Amino acid sequence: MSRVSTHEQVKDLGDVPSFPAVYAAALTRRPGAKRSATLPDLAHRVRKVRIDPARAAAFDHLMGGAATDLVHPGVLHVLAFPVSLSLMARSDFPVGLLGLVHVSNRILQHRSVEVGELVDVECRTRDLRPHRRGRLFDSVTTILSENGEIIATDVSTYLAKGAAPQGEDAGAQGQSRDGRAGGDGSERSSRAEFVPSAPTGRWSLDAGTGRRYAEVSGDANPIHMSSLTARAFGFPRAIAHGMYTASRAFTESRPDLTRPLQWDVTFEAPVTLPGTVLVRYEDDGDGGTRCEGWKPARGGKPARRHFSVEVTPADLG
Amino acid sequence: MTDAPASRSTPYTVPSAVRDAYVLGGNRLPFARSGGAYAGVSEQDMLTAALEGLVARFGLQGAQLGEVAGGAVLKLAGDLNLTRESVLGTPLDARTPAIDMSKACATGLETVTHVSNRIRLGQIEAGVACGVDSASDAPIEVSVRLRRLLHRLSRARTAVQRAQVISGLRPGDLAPLPPRNSEPRTGLSMGDHQAVTNAHWGITREAQDELALASHRNLAAAYGAGLLDDLVTGYRGLGRDENLRPDSSMEKLAKLKPVFGTSNPAIAEPTMTAGNSTPLSDGASSVLVASRQWAEENGHAPLARIVDTRIAAVDYVHGDEGLLMAPAYAVPALLDAHGLGLEDLDLIEIHEAFASTVLTTLAAWESEEFGRERLGRQGAFGSVDRSRLNIAGSSLAAGHPFAATGGRIVATLSKLLHAQAKQKGKVQRGLVSVCAAGGQGSVLLLESDGK
Repeated sequence: MSRVSTHEQVKDLGDVPSFPAVYAAALTRRPGAKRSATLPDLAHRVRKVRIDPARAAAFDHLMGGAATDLVHPGVLHVLAFPVSLSLMARSDFPVGLLGLVHVSNRILQHRSVEVGELVDVECRTRDLRPHRRGRLFDSVTTILSENGEIIATDVSTYLAKGAAPQGEDAGAQGQSRDGRAGGDGSERSSRAEFVPSAPTGRWSLDAGTGRRYAEVSGDANPIHMSSLTARAFGFPRAIAHGMYTASRAFTESRPDLTRPLQWDVTFEAPVTLPGTVLVRYEDDGDGGTRCEGWKPARGGKPARRHFSVEVTPADLG
Repeated sequence: MTDAPASRSTPYTVPSAVRDAYVLGGNRLPFARSGGAYAGVSEQDMLTAALEGLVARFGLQGAQLGEVAGGAVLKLAGDLNLTRESVLGTPLDARTPAIDMSKACATGLETVTHVSNRIRLGQIEAGVACGVDSASDAPIEVSVRLRRLLHRLSRARTAVQRAQVISGLRPGDLAPLPPRNSEPRTGLSMGDHQAVTNAHWGITREAQDELALASHRNLAAAYGAGLLDDLVTGYRGLGRDENLRPDSSMEKLAKLKPVFGTSNPAIAEPTMTAGNSTPLSDGASSVLVASRQWAEENGHAPLARIVDTRIAAVDYVHGDEGLLMAPAYAVPALLDAHGLGLEDLDLIEIHEAFASTVLTTLAAWESEEFGRERLGRQGAFGSVDRSRLNIAGSSLAAGHPFAATGGRIVATLSKLLHAQAKQKGKVQRGLVSVCAAGGQGSVLLLESDGK
């Protein structure tokens, strides 16, 4: 679905890059380096990545689930994340890596992955487009089996805050926006309208929540690690990883991992740590579950939605 | 039991007939409040004491029973054979086998079912069902990280390996973990779950306080009338349940502040207080169950026959049903199987986890909609005659040492049914309903002919 360009170059990486190395590269970017107006026509690929059973088990346990032989799709996301970051950390990438806001995510999983399996990871970016608060683009990851069969696609939509450069075309790469995970552009209006229903559960997230997710995901972005390090990057307190909240909601939705499924996430207000999130699950009676997480109204402040998650069976026949 | 020709090919033997199991009596400790009279003793101490009292009441010194089934909800990892170890500390024949069982607050009732089923199938002649819990001495665990680290440390072979393991230790890993007070899949405490169920059924604060007050008055009256004289044996200076407040009043109960549902923005007026919720408690109970033949041979008159039991569970995880509503489904199934309705029950015991647990169950049974949509009936399941409900008090007054509650109820109800059957000269039926964590419920039907 993402291989639209015939000029695309594929760069094979020897291994999944380490987070610190990618962040270091982004932090030490040469100040004068010129940014391209368009997304690079380039894919980063890592062949034969092993899904470590111990890491998959630790991920399941952190989400409150049982460690089975089937891999939580959140594990695929964190596995590919440094690969996609390495692409976005390039000095000519049109937007800066630091400060990107993850606004939505969609994973379509055609079949489940077993722990210990070897998979190929391909990451590319597409569809740079203007947005009221800056520019949006999609980071698209494809997880393939050893024989080239597509197992899952993971579309992460990021917002680069700030004004879009003049004269830039909305459809920078001429791609259709159909199938793109929603959420961009609608958050302000939905925030005002958000009226929470009765919660069916409560998450009590302590100050170590970000550090524990960093341990299983490798994503040790300082904004998640402690209030001290978060303040250094302009946040009043540490914030929970969005994909932690999304992955926990996925587990608590009780999906059938043996079937093809789609997992849609829209992020709104960040979850500050420590903090309490009220959640509500609604089963659609057809194998799908919708979840919302929010901060309750307090002292005159209205309730704010942190995220919406939808897990639906995707039997494509 | 029909004997279809096809069954000849089955490789196992089905018993030709199921015989009856009877409750002969019980013995329990007065229940203490957490941190109260039993704060310094262990679960094994309490269970041993309850069993010793039963042995003394029924002259079981040196007797080899078929089985003793027991359990504790909050159990130390080292107490894996809690019941067997307790049996070995009593004058029972040391060759009496034991089993530990666990099903949250329904543990006690499930041990009764287990022993009863053993007897009904002819596997044993007599056994004891028992349970114990101590909130005062609840297990405190180390963190998962520290546990894994200590295991790695014990596997380390060299000083360097050990140093590597220890270098992974963080100060936060050392904090001890008390038992979690919330349902693992929702993060809500049992009280917070019940507060949601309350709001759904519109249960008022006043109705809950009235039920709590009745529990204290009924239990005080039962002690006054001597009902508990041969069911309770004093322990550690306690002669009666420590939580019992005979002088409680609606005014006193009305002064208590709500403690559950207070952080749920969907609940406008929280109504659940420390007065209409059970306190954390310590205590143990035991019930002697036997075949009629064993009872006769040993000179004991059965109090009540264990007719049948049912279990149910609800899907509370995404809020389809209230956490503690499983008995509302199990009871209709049990009564239907015997062609009975609520009006055919002479006495009803619904465990008072919270006053509102009883009230939401009754409300569901009276609801046409619940009857039709949830139970698949023509209309409402029926109404409970409140003068037959928890007539000797229940957990709100007595306290609720989790695994000991089932035994308390079964022994008390058996005695009440027996006395009432004797007085009225006709068979009396009684129901026990217990809700449990995890959205589960166990219910049991008793019957006495008063003979």
